[in-house]
Amino acid sequence: MDTLKAFSRHPSGMLGLVILIVVVALAVLAPWLYPEDPWEMIGRPFAPPFSEGFLLGTDTLGRDVAAGIVHGTRVSLTIGVASTLAAVCIGVLVGAMAGYWGGGIDDVLMRVTELFQTIPGFILAILMVATLGPSIVNVIIAIATVSWPPLARLTRAEFLRLRGREFVQAATCQGERPLQVVLGHILPNAVSPIIVTGSLTIASAILIESALSFMGLGDPNLMSWGFMVGAARTVIRQAWWMSVFPGVAILLTVLAINLVGEGLNDTLNPRNARAGRH
Amino acid sequence: MTHLASGLQGHRVVAVALGILGWAAKFVAVVLVISTMSFLLVRAAPGDPAQVMAGQTGAADEKMLAQIRQEYGLDQPFILQLATHLKRVVTLDLGQSYRQRQPVTTLIGERLPATLLLTGTAFLLALASGILLGTLAALRAGRWSDTLLTVVSLILYAMPVFWLGLMMVLVFSVQLGLVPAFGFQTIGVEMGPFGRALDIGHHLILPAISLAAVYLAIYTRLMRSSVIEVAQQDYIKTARAKGLAQGRIIARHILRNAILPVVTVAGMQAGALVGGAVVVETVFAWPGLGRLTYEAVLQRDYPVLLGLFLVMSVIVILLNLATDVLYRFIDPRVTTQAAG
Amino acid sequence: MNRREFAKLLSAAGVAGATDIAWGVTRAVGQTRGGTLNTIIQPEPPVLVTAINQQQPTLTIGGKIYESLLRYGIDLKPMPGLAQSWTISPDGKTYTFKLFPNITFHDGKPCTAEDVIFSCTKVLTETHARARGTFLRIEKAEAPDPLTVVFTLKEPFAPFINSFDCTTAPVLPKHVYENTDFRQNPANAQAIGTGPFKLKEWVRGSHIHLVRHEGYYRQGEPHLDEIFYRVIPDAASRSVALEKGTVQLTQWTDVEFFDVPRLSKLPNLEMTTKGYEFFAPHLWIDMNNRVAPMNDKRFRQAVAHALDKKAIKDRIYFGLGKEATGPVSSKTRFYEKDVKTYDYSLDKARRLLDDMGLKAGAGGKRATITFLVPPYGESWQRLGEFVRQALGRIGIEVVLQGGDIAGWGQKVSNWEYEMTANLLYQFGDPALGVTRSYATSNIRKGVLFTNMAGYSNPAVDKLFDEAAVATTDAKRQELYSQAQKILCEDVPVVWILEQDFPNFYDKKLKNVITTGIGVHETFGSVSLG
Repeated sequence: MDTLKAFSRHPSGMLGLVILIVVVALAVLAPWLYPEDPWEMIGRPFAPPFSEGFLLGTDTLGRDVAAGIVHGTRVSLTIGVASTLAAVCIGVLVGAMAGYWGGGIDDVLMRVTELFQTIPGFILAILMVATLGPSIVNVIIAIATVSWPPLARLTRAEFLRLRGREFVQAATCQGERPLQVVLGHILPNAVSPIIVTGSLTIASAILIESALSFMGLGDPNLMSWGFMVGAARTVIRQAWWMSVFPGVAILLTVLAINLVGEGLNDTLNPRNARAGRH
Repeated sequence: MTHLASGLQGHRVVAVALGILGWAAKFVAVVLVISTMSFLLVRAAPGDPAQVMAGQTGAADEKMLAQIRQEYGLDQPFILQLATHLKRVVTLDLGQSYRQRQPVTTLIGERLPATLLLTGTAFLLALASGILLGTLAALRAGRWSDTLLTVVSLILYAMPVFWLGLMMVLVFSVQLGLVPAFGFQTIGVEMGPFGRALDIGHHLILPAISLAAVYLAIYTRLMRSSVIEVAQQDYIKTARAKGLAQGRIIARHILRNAILPVVTVAGMQAGALVGGAVVVETVFAWPGLGRLTYEAVLQRDYPVLLGLFLVMSVIVILLNLATDVLYRFIDPRVTTQAAG
Repeated sequence: MNRREFAKLLSAAGVAGATDIAWGVTRAVGQTRGGTLNTIIQPEPPVLVTAINQQQPTLTIGGKIYESLLRYGIDLKPMPGLAQSWTISPDGKTYTFKLFPNITFHDGKPCTAEDVIFSCTKVLTETHARARGTFLRIEKAEAPDPLTVVFTLKEPFAPFINSFDCTTAPVLPKHVYENTDFRQNPANAQAIGTGPFKLKEWVRGSHIHLVRHEGYYRQGEPHLDEIFYRVIPDAASRSVALEKGTVQLTQWTDVEFFDVPRLSKLPNLEMTTKGYEFFAPHLWIDMNNRVAPMNDKRFRQAVAHALDKKAIKDRIYFGLGKEATGPVSSKTRFYEKDVKTYDYSLDKARRLLDDMGLKAGAGGKRATITFLVPPYGESWQRLGEFVRQALGRIGIEVVLQGGDIAGWGQKVSNWEYEMTANLLYQFGDPALGVTRSYATSNIRKGVLFTNMAGYSNPAVDKLFDEAAVATTDAKRQELYSQAQKILCEDVPVVWILEQDFPNFYDKKLKNVITTGIGVHETFGSVSLG
């Protein structure tokens, strides 16, 4: 409860939270706000904003840009959260094993992590989606694959720090099994930095997703923001609104998540507050 | 005295040589692992490149397919193909492009300068202005200009690179007509080397800024907090107490120490920078490796894809090394040791 | 009278003794000699030898370098090429071509009947899949004298006379290629042909520079001194280059569809969609006829009724094209307009689905179908999105599946698809460009652009077989008309559009589009002013 209170006194964190709540509300209310399928060609092509009943105008095929943005919220948030969850699972597993056991296992796992950090992540993601096929599941897999290394390093560092603590050693001496020690004693104490990094990972996942969709590697059945900007690129002279509004949506969402993440960082980990996120 | 010095010298030479050897061994290992990984990934995907090549001619039959498969060794067993691939990588032969019928090294070689120019410019731009702006923000911590810088860098950090690029095109090319929107150079106009360089520079402005923006934001924030942190250290307080001039303190003591974490992060971001170049090159039709990647992905041009993946990874490794060297060069502790 | 009309007259008269006509005199009055043409090539071709590579860019540039026996007008009737005259025996089996005298290759050596025979029977049957089908029908090829080529076919094959354009039957120098591996011959880099232009320089990634072939056999040609094909990978940059006059000619998809209306209004530019008649690109929605519910023709007819072709044309292709009515393009020969047509009517579509018992289930859904989006660019993506919405209205849920070219090609050619879209060329004769998509004999697993839908109808097979060997155009028209009527009843695929491609050119440029292969033509008669 103290944390909540502290967070509520964090101005930029609260600002982010408010924006985020609006974004989530849009995602939840999408079917009521725009009951029509966002792909439906309901208007004249290239209608500018505020004309013919379209708040944000229409695209090349006469589809409502506003409807696309509202429905796109669901795609961005889903992919952001799902791929982050997957990345957290991989990262925590790898980091925990490396940090708990140490030695040879640690060496091997950290070499692998290093390797993944050396490879240009976005290019690996392109390669994966292109070869596996552009579907929402493959996009999530690809983003998770390139997002886990920082989480693994963080978890490992936390485990190394906690492993030698008295309460952990006490638990080990009392004959608790390794799994019990990890789940019952180490992990709960490592959770807050993982949450902070995880929340920031959501933001970068949304950015990666939008870039993939922009390059035409998104799921073709899902209206997503990156796809909308990508489809607008070639007609930028004719219809500025097609590229401006979806981009603003991405910007605001990512900004909100970053602000919330920083707010959490300041309130959950006061010891390294303001130390930057890298 | 002389004897002792040369002995020390010899010791250091050996240490450096060992370091280089170790690094080279690691380098080779990473290259081989990456080659194997990307080969497995690409080959695991569905799709027969022979069919693509045959299909592009507008008509194809079984005979032609068999011919192409044989020509490109696609009829060989999988493991043999992998072995051939690795052997080629070691001898710096990346094979032939399926589509362009040219050596992959040639294709990559043609596109490499454009990418190096773009990423290099963006990298230096981000690093230099990030350090400058971050320092300014730190010195004015709490004032409105600091707040403004913080807000701007937060926004830049949240901006999709491709969208920032498009918005700049919209404003600076479409609306104001100040800079070219797309491309690497003006096509079809003869000009001297100096004019050509200016022309390319003109085309480089928007792509370089787009690519640099997000890193500029990161480095600014990092530099700001780093300067503030260093400024509170005891030795800076001591220097102040000794009555050293403010400017000298900042330049000699604070900056030198504060830059270190920025350089470290810059090295870690190298991979992301190269990845970002792919998107920026797509937006601005910049004829670099990124566009080649995109085209190769669509064409499923295996040899080109594998080659690109490898080359871009190598670029990242080299950038990491460069920042490592830079770090040693700047780090006062390292310098002190060498001098002492 | 311009040269094209003149040439048409010649061929219409079946000229035999026109040997001594000096081609220079037919030049339109006032055509200037000299000058440079700057145009675009995209993507950059892998080689320029059209005999070993038939990708679009190769054909565009190769057309200036390599020639064939004939050319074909906008109406696809044959005109003199390397051959100044020709005769076909009454039994339709013997074709005799008389070459122009003094034809030389770019290396200075003469081009004779031997080179023509070598190219058609030795090289193309080896390297050119489309030509192979035609030239393997040759039983005997003879050269009674250096300027006469006689082909005797195993059996009559009417489209034979339509197979001598420079994209199908380019003539290569025998003295360079004989007894070599044609694909690996080092001379491929130099690209030695007989055309009015020869390769001067190829700077990869930048431009391909062609210059005048001084020894060209048509006096006074070429008018231009040189042609620069500039590689401009980005569509927006291509439009800018055209607007600013850095290039004077664009073709195919150099200019994106959405930019066409804007550029058409520019005062210094001319726009025509002519010059694609030989290819006559035909766009259709492909359905796997083996898979339910697409194995029922009522379902396919319902799809035909549900797709608003005009809206597709206007919204996706910016008006570039003409609604297709059947398997044969109205731009080519043997088109039949009196066939069953399918107007845009959701009611009719729903009724057909009701008839076949495909009732709406929960949520009004009757069936779910996967549409493979062809990975060739944005317009294909938009088309997929359009089809999904249109069929959604009659209760057919369409799921789009994206992918790369290899994946698409593999799935479609191995029949592991339900629905996709396709753009196929007609190649000047139904026997060459239409039969292949519907004949039972061309159902060949693993090969793209065959009868992939798996449609099989013995009546249609018989008509196509007879039409291919019939020797009079009237008889062929009758047979093809019957085939088209049956096909339009069965709708193995839903024909959408006879797609147009814009050629933009500077108004100063004369004689650009004169034949059915348009920009792929030799350009010997093209001039600046």
